[in-house]
Amino acid sequence: MVEFNLPANSVVKEGKSFSAPADAKNTRSFKIYRFDPDSGDNPRTDTYDIDLDKCGPMVLDALIKIKNEIDATLTFRRSCREGICGSCAMNIDGRNTLACLKPIDDIKGEVKIYPLPHMPVVKDLVPDLSQPYAQLASIEPWLKADSPTPPDGERLQSREERAQLDGLWECILCFSCSTACPSYWWNSDRFLGPAVLLQAYRWLADSRDEYTGERLDALEDPFRLYRCHTIMNCTNTCPKGLNPSLAITEIKKMIAERRA
Amino acid sequence: MSESYKIIDHNYDVVVMGAGGAGLRATLGTVEAGLKTACITKVFPTRSHTVAAQGGIGASLGNMSEDHWQWHMYDTVKGSDWLGDQDAIEYMCRNAVPAVHELEHYGMPFSRTEDGKIYQRPFGGHTRDHGKAPVERACAAADRTGHAMLHTLYQQCLKHKAEFFVEYIALDLIMDDDGTCRGLVAWDLDSGEMHRFNAKMVILASGGYGRAFFSCTSAHTCTGDGHGMVARAGLGLQDMEFVQFHPTGIYGSGCLITEGARGEGGYLTNSEGERFMERYAPTVKDLASRDVVSRGMSQEIRDGRGVGEHGEYIHLHLEHLGSEVLWERLPGITETAKIFAGVDATKEPIPVLPTVHYNMGGIPTNYKGEVLRPTAKDPNAIVKGLMAAGEAACVSVHGANRLGTNSLLDLVVFGRACGMHAAEVVDPKSSFKELKTTDGDEAIARFDRLRWAKGSRPTADIRLEMQRVMQGNCGVFRTAEILKEGKDKLSETAKTLPDVGVSDRSLIWNSDLVETLELENLMTCAAATMNSAEARHESRGAHAHEDYPKRDDETWMKHTIAKVDDAKGYAVDLTYRPVNNFTLTDEVSYIEPKERVY
Amino acid sequence: MKMQSDLGRVRGLGSAKSGASHWWTQRVTAMANLPLGIWFIISILAGHTANYDAVHAWLSSYFHSTMMILMIVSVAVHTTHGLQVVIEDYVHNRKAEMISLMLIKAVAAFLSVAAIVSVLRIVFAGA
Repeated sequence: MVEFNLPANSVVKEGKSFSAPADAKNTRSFKIYRFDPDSGDNPRTDTYDIDLDKCGPMVLDALIKIKNEIDATLTFRRSCREGICGSCAMNIDGRNTLACLKPIDDIKGEVKIYPLPHMPVVKDLVPDLSQPYAQLASIEPWLKADSPTPPDGERLQSREERAQLDGLWECILCFSCSTACPSYWWNSDRFLGPAVLLQAYRWLADSRDEYTGERLDALEDPFRLYRCHTIMNCTNTCPKGLNPSLAITEIKKMIAERRA
Repeated sequence: MSESYKIIDHNYDVVVMGAGGAGLRATLGTVEAGLKTACITKVFPTRSHTVAAQGGIGASLGNMSEDHWQWHMYDTVKGSDWLGDQDAIEYMCRNAVPAVHELEHYGMPFSRTEDGKIYQRPFGGHTRDHGKAPVERACAAADRTGHAMLHTLYQQCLKHKAEFFVEYIALDLIMDDDGTCRGLVAWDLDSGEMHRFNAKMVILASGGYGRAFFSCTSAHTCTGDGHGMVARAGLGLQDMEFVQFHPTGIYGSGCLITEGARGEGGYLTNSEGERFMERYAPTVKDLASRDVVSRGMSQEIRDGRGVGEHGEYIHLHLEHLGSEVLWERLPGITETAKIFAGVDATKEPIPVLPTVHYNMGGIPTNYKGEVLRPTAKDPNAIVKGLMAAGEAACVSVHGANRLGTNSLLDLVVFGRACGMHAAEVVDPKSSFKELKTTDGDEAIARFDRLRWAKGSRPTADIRLEMQRVMQGNCGVFRTAEILKEGKDKLSETAKTLPDVGVSDRSLIWNSDLVETLELENLMTCAAATMNSAEARHESRGAHAHEDYPKRDDETWMKHTIAKVDDAKGYAVDLTYRPVNNFTLTDEVSYIEPKERVY
Repeated sequence: MKMQSDLGRVRGLGSAKSGASHWWTQRVTAMANLPLGIWFIISILAGHTANYDAVHAWLSSYFHSTMMILMIVSVAVHTTHGLQVVIEDYVHNRKAEMISLMLIKAVAAFLSVAAIVSVLRIVFAGA
């Protein structure tokens, strides 16, 4: 039935606090979710007070500062630090976004940082994303065409056709959107989620792809596609300003169109 | 000790380390050829640093105006300041056109011209007819070409059902007594288990080591892991003194603003509002090659003509291009400038500074991708069972300075070459030679030593010190004194590595330990870079030595080979290897060195 | 303990190749409910439901009885479709899900048929 109870060991407890150096004038508290897979203890939130005068402007800068100077055990994913690799997606101040693109100054008061919601947590801010990755693979996200390719040239695509891909191909697979979607929370095993559906539409919209019908067949499913209830959390939260909700609507429109 | 770790053994025809552009292209090639391949990567493939490449991939498609691969080759040789091996450069430029077409056929979303072909833009150092004028050679997907390429290659790997080992940290190579590479040892972050990969061929595509410097455009994960593994296996690193500074890293954050911005018409000014590059490169101005522009900018700043309160940066102007052009062709950097410099690029100039961007040096290979073990007798002797590609490798196509767009090209061309060569030399039907039970023990011993390290200096502390030394003493301008001092300081820092302290003891996602393992790799790279630079008494490409301001072909037309011994405080032993002064075919002849003017 | 591969799990039983008509019907009935709802409210405001006789007279009309039957069908279909989504969203026990789905459909069928029969009785009684 509907699950009203939290699983065992999931209640988050208060953890340790680390105060800022005494001479710090411009301090800010960072309350960060911690989970240690080895101990089997409940997750906790540790609080770190940071001197913002000695810290970069982004939340990721603060996380790195904490790891470098206060608590080296703090664990999170990061790589490019410029919003293109999609590693540092997490829930900051109640919203899924990239830590590297989120200015600390945008947040009032204590900065609360949690892993992406509703994903199994491996450690601290590192969620297990193997399911959305598998879902990405399941939609066969590669160009499918049977027409022979030109022997010594590119396939042609008009600028208008290419423009159809804008707002789709830029997705960095950070899964901020999917993990912000209530429908994905309840049915992540069967609903593909906004990120993967955006990718699915990227191939439906590509004038070079010749498998539109088969792709639509594979998507037309009460759960895979139609679990989207146009809640729009995906579009609201996307750190790259993309619109997965619109892409999903376009898929639904395509399916409706081929029936009429 | 090693008994306490759970070790899982695997047999693969080919093991690829790294899932950036080169690693994925190599994986794709070997999988297509029917070889059982494992791609081991410390980040999910689409998070590799190739994703951050912006401007384009160089190929003489001639979609916008006349172009030939011979012109591309000339520009690359000139860009390399004649340190590049011309056989490899010929191979790359010749194969550029089919490589780009292949990417398009894979589904890469290139921007398009009016007649539906791949859009190309001008880029620094790329010229028409041997330096006459800039030419449109950079095939672009807006200003997110690397992103488009990396995702496309990952998609193709999915299509071909390549096997990935994601978030595995490769520790060390397994080498035979006769010097053959037999595989590698990796640590699975997710489960904490150790894996021994027995392989007939290992391909290293582990990327660069930009993080050895304090300010760089490189990702946090660019830590020269392959370099470190190779050095610990007793092999040499080539041309490590050549570190490219990208002219336009955003002041402060170091985030990259593509050279394509200047390709589209952007230009640099100093505090007097002067377009100073006209003085340094009268013909192609702001589109000179990166070393020239970076040096020009640094010179302006040193001469007191930098912009800003302390005259510490330079302005990059794009506002005259209009917001429409910016949002269509350079949307990513327009956004980046907004976020990281707080500047609306459609209205005001962006503050920029030369920033460490690319490592021309790396693991020496030939154009097929085979790793070299140069000896006095045979400078082109190879290491059996080991190949390398991408930024980790030094083929050398970039010589002393890489041209923009040639890195993405390097990845696909030599990633593909590795795949093809592996398919030639690896027989999938041959049986696997069993590993000895002791193989990989050293790797696990190193791991165990660092895991329990109780020293007094945190990893971040040593790393910061190393990065500051590299930044201060191995930057754009180098003098004998600065380099000598850098060498000593770095050696002091390296000597504190045994005193490193790790606070996380876990086997699962122990990122403290990951960073410590990476620090050892970075230190190897830093030591090789500093020592190679100190020894090279000339100015060539990115290595600008004030005490030796001229290029000296007589003495220094040779590749540096640096062997780093981590057991001896990262002592570096330097030898040299001749530059290949021949081409691959008779269709083009060796391009004789001459003065490099843009 | 789940030992199945991720890909195997997410591919699951494959695509049902349906769902479009459910989605479409829900939108069509939603649109139909708009004019029908307006008609219903106007009728109430006009005093057609003031007492038994008024209702009787109102539903004896061919137009109003047709509108009423259309509304019963449209609302019933829309409600069952909507409830089905809610149940599919939140009830993850397969057995409980099946039973509740059948239950809401049965209830809706019973209520709507009963309502239609009532309307028809008024219509034909008056004829």
